[in-house]
Parts: sequence; C-alpha cells; structure tokens
Amino acid sequence: MPEPAVEMLHITKIYPDGVVALRDVDFVVYKGEIHGLLGENGAGKTTLMRILYGEIKPTKGEIRIFGKKVKFRGPWDAIKHGIGMVYQKFTLVPTFTVIENLHLSHLAINPKATISETRKKAEELMETVGLKVPLDTVVEDLPIGVQQRVEIIKTLLRDAKILILDEPTSVLTPIETEELFKTLARLKELGITVIFITHKLKEVKRVTDRITVLRRGRKIDTVETAKVTEVDLARMMVQREIVLKIEKKPAKPGRIALVIEDLWVRDERGIDAVKGVSLELREGEILGIAGVQGNGQRELAEAIAGIRKIYKGRIKLYDKDITRFSTLERYRNGLAYVPDSRAVGLVLDMSLRENVVLTNIYRILGKLGYLDWGKGDEIARKVVEELEVVTPSILTPVKYLSGGNQQKVMVGREIVREPQVFIVAEPTQGLDVGATEFIRKMLVKLRDEGKAILLISTDLDEILQLSDKIAVIYEGKIMAVGKPEEFTLEKLGLLMGGVHAE
Amino acid sequence: MPSKDGFFQKLRARFRARAQDYGMAALEVFLSAAIGFLAGALALLVLGYDPLKVYEVLFSWGYTDIGYLLLKSTPLIMTAIAFSIPALAGVFNIGGESQLYVGALLGLLVAYYIHNAPLAIVAAILGGAGLGLFIALLRVYRGINEVITAIMVNWIMYWLLAYLVTGPFNNPKLPQQSVPVPKSAQIPVFSIGGVNIAGSFILAVIGALVIYYIVFYTKTGYIMRVSGLSPASAKYAGFSPEKAILTSMLIGGAAAGFGGALLVLGDVHSIDTTLSAVYGLGFTGIGIGLLGRNNPIGIIFAAIFFSGLLIGGQYVELFLNAPPNLSDFLIGVIVIALSIPYAYRFIISWIKRRRMAK
Repeated sequence: MPEPAVEMLHITKIYPDGVVALRDVDFVVYKGEIHGLLGENGAGKTTLMRILYGEIKPTKGEIRIFGKKVKFRGPWDAIKHGIGMVYQKFTLVPTFTVIENLHLSHLAINPKATISETRKKAEELMETVGLKVPLDTVVEDLPIGVQQRVEIIKTLLRDAKILILDEPTSVLTPIETEELFKTLARLKELGITVIFITHKLKEVKRVTDRITVLRRGRKIDTVETAKVTEVDLARMMVQREIVLKIEKKPAKPGRIALVIEDLWVRDERGIDAVKGVSLELREGEILGIAGVQGNGQRELAEAIAGIRKIYKGRIKLYDKDITRFSTLERYRNGLAYVPDSRAVGLVLDMSLRENVVLTNIYRILGKLGYLDWGKGDEIARKVVEELEVVTPSILTPVKYLSGGNQQKVMVGREIVREPQVFIVAEPTQGLDVGATEFIRKMLVKLRDEGKAILLISTDLDEILQLSDKIAVIYEGKIMAVGKPEEFTLEKLGLLMGGVHAE
Repeated sequence: MPSKDGFFQKLRARFRARAQDYGMAALEVFLSAAIGFLAGALALLVLGYDPLKVYEVLFSWGYTDIGYLLLKSTPLIMTAIAFSIPALAGVFNIGGESQLYVGALLGLLVAYYIHNAPLAIVAAILGGAGLGLFIALLRVYRGINEVITAIMVNWIMYWLLAYLVTGPFNNPKLPQQSVPVPKSAQIPVFSIGGVNIAGSFILAVIGALVIYYIVFYTKTGYIMRVSGLSPASAKYAGFSPEKAILTSMLIGGAAAGFGGALLVLGDVHSIDTTLSAVYGLGFTGIGIGLLGRNNPIGIIFAAIFFSGLLIGGQYVELFLNAPPNLSDFLIGVIVIALSIPYAYRFIISWIKRRRMAK
C-alpha cells in the first residue's frame, strides 16, 4: 500500500449564499505520484485545491498531510506543511529579476536569508531538478513558459513536497508543454507529489499516474490512469441527467444571418486565442458553442462585437462585411451582444434606467448630444415589463437587484432594440433555477420569432437544452459542428477535452 | 432638462430609489463631521487653546459677511470642478492649481491689453483647457501617470507665473504686484437686498450648473460617467474610455482656467508677486470636490462651507493670537474627516480600475 501524501476526507464546502461547491468529497493522493484532477467548469476542482492550500476553509471534513491531521488558517500554514501552488495567473513581481522574486518568497520561510544564500540554494535546486532559468533577467522579459518554471522553483525553494498546478498548460505553447511534462517526470523521480488540475484529456492521460474526476461538486471516482481510456474519462466527466426540460418546437432555420470566416484573434498577452474559426448562423436557430472556459470563447464573442481586434478573417452580417465596423456600428446594424460577465455588461453603481440606455443611447439622443431621459424612462419601463424585472423603480441602482434581475436587464435592453442577431455568453451563470428557466425560455422565444442566436456557454446542460446546432471549441479552434443528435455526451466530453473521437 | 410639471415628483422618485445611498451618505457626513470636530477639539486642548472659543470665532466670523464669503468661494467652486469632472471619468486631476494659474494669467493679460472681460474669460478657459488636455494626452497616448505630470506642470507654471509677474508684466508703480485689470474689464459686484453679491460668483454658479447639465443630461457626460465607473462596460457599449479621459480633462482644465479669470477679474484685479492670491486654490479644490462628492451642485455648497472656514480661520489668528498654522491645521482635520469615507472609496476604486486596465 503506497503511503498517502494528501488525504482530504468528507470535504464539504457550502458558501454563505447557499451554493454547494463540494459535497462529501474524498481525495487521496499518494506520495510521489502525479495525480490528475479532472472536471468541467464548476465541478469544484479549484475549490478543492484552494481548501488544500488553506485559502478557504471547508464547511466540513478533515485534511491529513503525510498522515498528520492539519487545520490551515491560511496558505502560510499550508506552505509550512510543504504544499506549494502554481496558479494560472502567476504571482511574480514583473519588474523584479528572477532571483529577486525567489528571494522575496524565500524570505517568507527564512527571514534571515541573504540574497546570495538564496542564489546558492536556487542554483543547487536548478541543478538537481534540471530546470534552467536565467536568474538575473527581469521577469516580465521572460516567456510565459519560463515564468512558470520560476513559479515552480519558487515553491520548491520553500521546500514544497506537494506541488499543485492549476491548469498549467493553458498558458503554454506545445513546446513549452513538453518541457513542463519533462520537469514533472523529473520531480516525480525526486519524490515530489504533483497534483495536476486540468480539463485536457490527452494531457491527463499522458502524464498522470492516477486521476480523480469531479462533477458538480461530487467525486465520481479515482482511477489508475493506465486502466482507463480517454472515452471513459470523458464519460465520467460529463455524464448527467438533464434536470431541466424546455418545451421547444423544431427549429425553422431561415436565411444566413451571420458568417464568420477564418477568424483569428489574440488575447491580452498577444497569444492567439481564436485560431481560424469559421461559423455560419441562420435566422430562427440557436447555435451553441460548447467548450471548457478559457478556450477562446470570450475572445470570439468580443471579436464579433467589435470590442477586440481581429487580425485575420472576416465577419459578415447578412450582406454587409462588418469586419471593420466599430462596436456601435455593429449594434446599430442589428447585432446584439450580451457579455458573459455582469460586471462588464452593467455599470453596477448606475440606475436601471442608465444601464438600459448603455446600448440604447442612440435612441434617446437629441441635438447637441442632449439625452432625452423621458425616452430613456420609456425604454427602461418596457424592459422591466417585458422581462418581468423585479425592481422597486427604474431609478434603483442595479447593484441592488438580484443576479437574475440584473441578467434580465442585460438581455432585455438588447431585445427592445429588436436586433436580428444575438451573441449571448453564459446567460444563466450564477442564476437560480427560476431565473435560469426564464432566460432560457426567452432565448427559445426569440429563436421562434426568427432571430439568429449564437449561444456561448460552458454549461453543457444549457447547450444541450437550447441548441439547434452545436459547435465545440477547444483551444480556439472549432473541433466539430453538428446537430445535437449527432453527438453523444461522451463524444462532446472528448471534443471539449481536445480529443477527436472515432 | 426635465419638464417642469412633475419635476418634484421625479425628484421624489429619484430620492426614494436611492434612499439607501442617500441615507448612508447623510450618516457618513454627520459622523465624519462629529469626528472631525472632536479630533480638532482634542488637538486644540493639547495645544492649550479653548476649543469652544476657537470654534465660536471660526463659525461666527467665517459666515457673517455673506458677500465676502461668496466672493472667496468663487475660484474654489471651479477648481473643485476641475478635480471632480476628471474624477468622474476615472482620472486624478491634481493639476487644477496650474490650470488656474494659466487662467488667471491669460485673463489678466487679455484684460490689461484689450480691456474686454468676456474675451479675457474665453482666453482663460482655453488656456486651462489646453493645459488639462496636455496632461491627458500624455496619459492616454504615452501612458504617463497624470498625477506625476500634473505635479511637474504645477511647479513649472508656478515659477513661470512668478517670473512673469515680477518681470515682464510687473506693475512699475506697485512693484509688489502685476499689471492691473483695468476698471472696464472688471466683473462688477451687485448689491442685492443689501448683500453684495459678486458677479464672478454668479458666473461660477452658472458655470457649475452648465457642467452639471453636461454631466447628467448629455451623451458626453454619460460616457464620462460610464467610463469612470466601469471602463470595461464603456468598451462593451462601444464608447472609448480614453476619449472620455481627454474630454474630462478638457472640461476640468477649462473650469480651473475659468476660475482663474473670475478670481482676477472679479476679486483681486492683479496678481501679487508672492503669488499668495493664487497659490493653493487648486489643491484646496481637491478637498472641496471630495466634500461635494464630485457633484457640481454639491460642490457649490462645499466651496461656500470651505470658504467660510478659511475666512473664520483668519479671525481665529487675529482674536486668539493663534499662529496661522492652527487654523490651517483645524480646517485640515475637519475636511479630511469629512472627505475620508468618500475619498477612501474613490481611491480604492481608482486603484482597482488601474489594475483592471492592465
């Protein structure tokens, strides 16, 4: 029987707002293994790891590290017990050199260390682990892959015996990923335990010894990697019963409303996020883009809305080429975009009326830029009536509305503009069952009225319920497009994990 | 503008909708004032003064001469707006000081050479606006922090002004000051019901109302407010937060320049070589802007309140033989206490936006 490094037993996490993130999860990692933690968005992977790292406290449950029962008050306690975490977003000081960053974190466990001691220790460590990093280069001048190596060395310098990597390959190029895998193998030889959070099936299959699959806050199983196939993993990850059923007439697709041709878009860091996406959207149809978060969905939506620069490709709205149109021109030409974040779509400190005006401003505009708030009142009242928004007044700041009502404002202000094409991203994220159903029915109703709807969602249930056609996106590429009947859950799971099924 | 009928109804509706916000704000102001006066009183006790007497002098003498009170509040209204309008759009304009200098200087020179008050005011507004825009351009197109630019520009303009009023534009008959504003270009003081109301004050109030209108009833103002509260939302709606920054600094600078002209044409009529007439008005405006919660109408009242404290402070010096620092100190404590809650939230959200922008 291998010796366990981490034992998390009966872990339950209920947030103050009643959301159950984890339900009675047992998670055991053996010493010296590479353990994959697999699951969709919202499965609870990150929550579980943040509990292990002491960032949040479990509502119930017990944690043992190397057999010793522990209670962490914060990450500093976890660090003392030899746990290290490498986040997707690095925690390095960008304007410091590598050695300065290492020294900074080294001081946390060894306050008397001098920078030359840190350097000596770091050099020895790089020698044993076989990781090479230029110590005197400023961090922001280094490629992302090298920065990640610095993060790993940083945790090892703190004598980490258990290393948690949160989606480590999501920021890396294929070559950098290969390098990372070599490093992981080397760490394993040195007896370091690695927990590898991911949703990429190929990678988890390739590098791990065992895999734990989470789904909706529950543990599905822990399996030995050698004994399962990618198909098994995909099934475990996505298998579900559909809870909500929505009455839906068969779609009557009409004219082609939106055409996207070979679209290329970069993210904030200048890395390609959308790589040659081509799609066709018809009137009276909901095209669902399925995929795990961070696979280029937001960049795709923003590029269509004109918020993000397109550096290659074309977008056509009916007969018009809108590739070079500004955001406002696109909106005025019949495009609507409901973003995935209410913090973006709404100005929380402003009133409902002012938020409705945000995308309707051209409709209340008078001479010399004068805004006719009387007309604004009318539009706002229409949104409140049609979408059944519960609010004391149209002058109430939207920050006082519930999430569901906020979402209704975001969707409603687009509907009253009567556009032809809707880009809707994560329309029901964080909403309760009632609000979710309302929004979904609204989308179906719009489809029946002949609107073209591009639904971008990481919620597979939503995609399956609403879509007349599904496209799966993975790492900025469309893996497959087809009717819902053409996909099994398993196949969707594989595609979302980057594996072409056959 | 809202139609007249139902105006009060609308006002009531708006108030009800934001009752929670307004209630908190009122509580905040009350608590801050209490804390400010208490802290001030404690400090006075330690320094050996009778707090009750000091406060009595401060308030009874600060607010007796209404005409003088309003006259002195005039430039403060405009420098506060110079801070607050950019603040609404998410930039920190501490350059109101130098924007006022430029307005004062250009107003003075145009008045002196052309003898025309409206032209002098226009020149002052353009000058202030240009300086504000300069800082904003560096921020938007070169990524240079507006606070740093403004601090440097403030000192450059301070010494430039000092040189100009002691050198080329010095008054040969009265060497302690600059050339004067001729009678024909001065803004008159009106006597209304026995109170002397400065024309410049009336102009400042009109200016503040115009800016209030721009902020709340025009597209420009709306875009500025959206950009300031949430740049990501602005981009989503197809607005440019960068352009909003430029516009807000243009308006802010114009306001400070206007304030400079009002000061010179309506009150001091020349600039003394020690620059005591102009120095500090821009900085004081920051506190007033925060006190007035970045609302042009709130700012009018905050400026009057503040102006009273400044005047009263001089009487404290006079009657209680206190050093001038004492009243400055006291005003500082009161104003800091009053603006801390708002300033705190403002600065926090400013920092957050900066982070998000990166």
